[in-house]
Amino acid sequence: MTSDALAVTTAHAAEGHAREGGISNVILGMLLFITSEVMFFAGLFAAYFNVRATAPVWPPEDFADKLHWLPTADQPIPVVTVATVLLVLSSLTCQLGVWGIRRGDHLALVRNIGVTVLLGSIFLLMQAFDYTILYGEGVRLDAGTFGTTYYTLTGFHGAHVLGGVIMLSVVLYRAMAGQFSRDHHDMVEATSIYWHFVDVVWIVLFSTLYIIPNPA
Amino acid sequence: MSSSRLRIVGFAVAGLVVVGLLALMALAGAFRLFPPTPVTDRAREIDALYNFVFAISVAIFVLVEGLIIYAVVRYGRKPADTELPPQIHGNNILEIVWTIVPTIIVAVMFVVSFNSLNKVDAVANTTDVRIRAVAAQFQWSFEYLSADGQTVQYEQLAPEMTVPAGRTVHLSLRSHDVIHAFYVPQFLFKRDVVPGRENVFEFTVDPTDAGQTFSGQCAELCGTFHGSMLFTVKALAPADYDAWLATQIEKARQSPPPAGSAAPGQVELQLAAKDVKYDKSALEAPADKPFTIKFQNDDASVAHNVAIHDAGGQEVFKGEIFQGVDVRTYPVTPLKAGSYPFLCTVHPNMTGTLTVK
Amino acid sequence: MATTALTPAATGTRSSLYDWLTTTDHKKIGILYLVNSFVMFFIAGALAMLVRVELAAPGIQFLKEDLYNQVFTIHASVMIFLFIIPILAGFGNYIVPLMIGAPDMAFPRINALSFWMLPLAAVLILTGFVTGGAAAAGWTSYAPLSEAKYSGVGQDLWIVGVLLIGTSSILGAINFLVTIFKMRAPGMTMFRMPIMAWTVLVTSTLTLLATPVLTSALIMLFIDRNYGGHFFDPASGGNAILWQNVFWFYSHPAVYIMVLPAMGMISEVLPVFSRKPLFGYKAFVFATAGIGGLGFSVWAHHMFTTGAVYLPFFSFMTFLIAIPTGVKMFNWTATLYRGQLTFATPLLFALGFLTMFLIGGINGAISAAVPVDFALQDTYWVVAHLHYVLFGGSVFAVFAGLYYWYPKMFGRKLNETIGKIHFVLMFIGFNLTFFPMHALGLAGMPRRIANYAPDAGWNDLNLLATIGGFTIAASMVAFLWNVFVTTRSGEPAGDDPWEGNTLEWATSSPPPPYNFDHLPEIRSERPVFDARHHLQGGDH
Repeated sequence: MTSDALAVTTAHAAEGHAREGGISNVILGMLLFITSEVMFFAGLFAAYFNVRATAPVWPPEDFADKLHWLPTADQPIPVVTVATVLLVLSSLTCQLGVWGIRRGDHLALVRNIGVTVLLGSIFLLMQAFDYTILYGEGVRLDAGTFGTTYYTLTGFHGAHVLGGVIMLSVVLYRAMAGQFSRDHHDMVEATSIYWHFVDVVWIVLFSTLYIIPNPA
Repeated sequence: MSSSRLRIVGFAVAGLVVVGLLALMALAGAFRLFPPTPVTDRAREIDALYNFVFAISVAIFVLVEGLIIYAVVRYGRKPADTELPPQIHGNNILEIVWTIVPTIIVAVMFVVSFNSLNKVDAVANTTDVRIRAVAAQFQWSFEYLSADGQTVQYEQLAPEMTVPAGRTVHLSLRSHDVIHAFYVPQFLFKRDVVPGRENVFEFTVDPTDAGQTFSGQCAELCGTFHGSMLFTVKALAPADYDAWLATQIEKARQSPPPAGSAAPGQVELQLAAKDVKYDKSALEAPADKPFTIKFQNDDASVAHNVAIHDAGGQEVFKGEIFQGVDVRTYPVTPLKAGSYPFLCTVHPNMTGTLTVK
Repeated sequence: MATTALTPAATGTRSSLYDWLTTTDHKKIGILYLVNSFVMFFIAGALAMLVRVELAAPGIQFLKEDLYNQVFTIHASVMIFLFIIPILAGFGNYIVPLMIGAPDMAFPRINALSFWMLPLAAVLILTGFVTGGAAAAGWTSYAPLSEAKYSGVGQDLWIVGVLLIGTSSILGAINFLVTIFKMRAPGMTMFRMPIMAWTVLVTSTLTLLATPVLTSALIMLFIDRNYGGHFFDPASGGNAILWQNVFWFYSHPAVYIMVLPAMGMISEVLPVFSRKPLFGYKAFVFATAGIGGLGFSVWAHHMFTTGAVYLPFFSFMTFLIAIPTGVKMFNWTATLYRGQLTFATPLLFALGFLTMFLIGGINGAISAAVPVDFALQDTYWVVAHLHYVLFGGSVFAVFAGLYYWYPKMFGRKLNETIGKIHFVLMFIGFNLTFFPMHALGLAGMPRRIANYAPDAGWNDLNLLATIGGFTIAASMVAFLWNVFVTTRSGEPAGDDPWEGNTLEWATSSPPPPYNFDHLPEIRSERPVFDARHHLQGGDH
């Protein structure tokens, strides 16, 4: 994904401020920013694995069956699984938008980014809904290290999704105003990289929180 | 500024650096750049390692600083220096040399310190002298455990650890609140006391140090009165230690005497402790008559007491140590006229003067 | 510093408060960084004086224990987070774009944002003093002491303040990296960049990778304190040592963040005043990268006494990091050899740096020997060590850089005579203050205590250190007097007062808004030297 972005923007380097060719300042800046974000989540994950490794059982008995992604009697269609599918789909639509503007297809950009904003927003709403279910079941922020790590990790991911939705909305607004062209759309590229990053974090997070603790 | 003047200034400053360093070295003679005299087997190990590392360090410092000072003194710009000096950009052989040689030096230092670490950190777990130091804001207490380490035979609330000289002591560390550190300078050793984790280490006080008392204190910032978390380590001859411990266990078995209230007509002094300080620095009592001290401890979950010493520093009275918020009335036997310092056994920097007349 | 009186007049631009508040010019932002950092330096210095006054004699005289803990906590926090790190970023801001022949930073508005977070953070951290107590758990804020149960609202202000500073650093690092990678002038290849630019590059990489981990740690602590979290609460399954691991994962690389650009500045000053190129340029670059890389594998040497780290590994890595540091030391010394040294104030501070940093570095190797660290950890010996590195090292380098680049920034040279007085007082005062602390620590005086027993044998050395502290304060008076005198009647500097090597000396003093009217050809790491001596240059 990223290497595509690199290859294409290389062709347009003369457009930006870059003097030596290579990727544009904006995209390089975004990649560096994402590097720092990776380290941020690495810190949170380190804390999670630390408390998990030192706990006698994980998940603790009180929360043994609270996080599930496979259908159960209570929840035939688990909210979190649907949300995950939607977020992965949104990465696809986002990339379709990028491919669109690379061809100079404004309509494809606007439509796909519009759908991406919609999917991202639905993800956030579903996460909020899932929080209310969990809270009702006693999985609270102050409920032991289990609750603390769960809400910290998913909460900060959610905040990043929100940030991504806001950035995508700006992209959408500017796309509708016709500010991007085939040769000039660094912001679209940078935002899409960020959105893919947020998606990847969620896949890692989802696997860690939901799948690994419940191998059965 | 002319070049010659610049040169003079250069020499002056270089000289200053030299003089400054010499002065520092002279001072270093006045104060010790070495640890205190070691009093345990592990401390002697660390002391030897320090001397080794320190000698290498001094050698390196003298060499490099000597090179710098030589360059400063030798290569000041002279008025005749109008041509550029040779423009040397580097020398690969030199770079290799001054990469390899330090590598060898640090490798040697690592190996030596690693061997030393293995001895210092060794825990054989075979001794029957098992003590647990318990740290809490802002006090130390010491629990004497049975040989299997399971039961507490005697709990010393005063911050005084008594150990047998010449026998290995197995010390475990426990914290009730924040992180503290057990530090005795003459052990050349400290270990953090971490809540949720039990650190252990072993040491043997040199047999020749029986009868000595060593001071220690908390070394990890633990809150407002971190600086008051003092304790002592008293080394006894093994036989004395066994006798002492047996007596303490026996005493503890008998329930502590109830705090008596003041008999009519008897003088009752009022004293309170708050924020690890007494509210009064001076008390007055009648000579040759029994009196009582009503002691109010206002520090929640901090232990205090009142102990009275004579002018020679001997303890003449020691009140029960208890945690606040609470109150005790101490009956004190008659004292001769004079001036007596009183203090908190747990926090020896809480002091005052009792005047008996 | 009365910067407004001098700077823009030379270029004919309008100078107004509004202009300074809204500027995106890297040079003005650089000066804002310097001014803000010096204000913080004097605040934190005053706090240090309070500590020294309290410790001058045993007993509690001026500061009660709770206030004392706040004072040293804020002293260290402000010195580290609001003085050393930002002032080096300030020099980087001003100098690096000039050095590599760029018209500005890559993201000028983000650059301004990075700066303006700092005064806000400073206000937050200092506000604690008037809102019921500033943070008092030490700049390391070890949990559980920094948890809500044991610390007040000042700790929250501290957390938010440091979060802001961290964000500022991360944005700044991205800016530096993009600027260095993308904005270099034609001919300025990576291996022709001044060492200062290299050190800023490595520092920015460290910031980019380490600071976000601090951010995560601060957020976890904030959640623990305010929303009932249990990250660091052993009673509920959390881990007290976890804080130290995440904190030092940032804060040890942060030591190199605080030292590498200082090394870069020294590497600019020494060649100019020796009239020789830096000895072993490439070795220097590799050593810098080596320190940066190893910097991530030594954090637990701050935790040797916790009983919770694998000691041999971290001991070994800590010894290893002495090697690239030693290589730099030898290269600097070799730069002086067979040179023609001009003992102007910048060189004096640079020589002070060499000596003090040598002591600080050797100290580091001593305490890498784990059993020795068992004796020294958390005593005044460590206080001596860190000040020899950060004050004797970084702060001496800051003054070397300031005396060196002041003429470029403001068009006037700082007075040499007062500068020498400043240096001599600071050098003597520094050693008087911090050298005795080695002995105090060996004798068993723990750090962070307000009171000690009169019979502990620490009285004389503490008094000596306090006298040294006042000497340092006197040197700062000399420095401020120097800035005042220079602003009123300083000697005009011209474009290139020191016969510099690097591109900033090829433009006017101060430089015009877009830095260069024309650039000399760049054929080596010393383009201005090549032009002055009509050399064809070439890579070495």
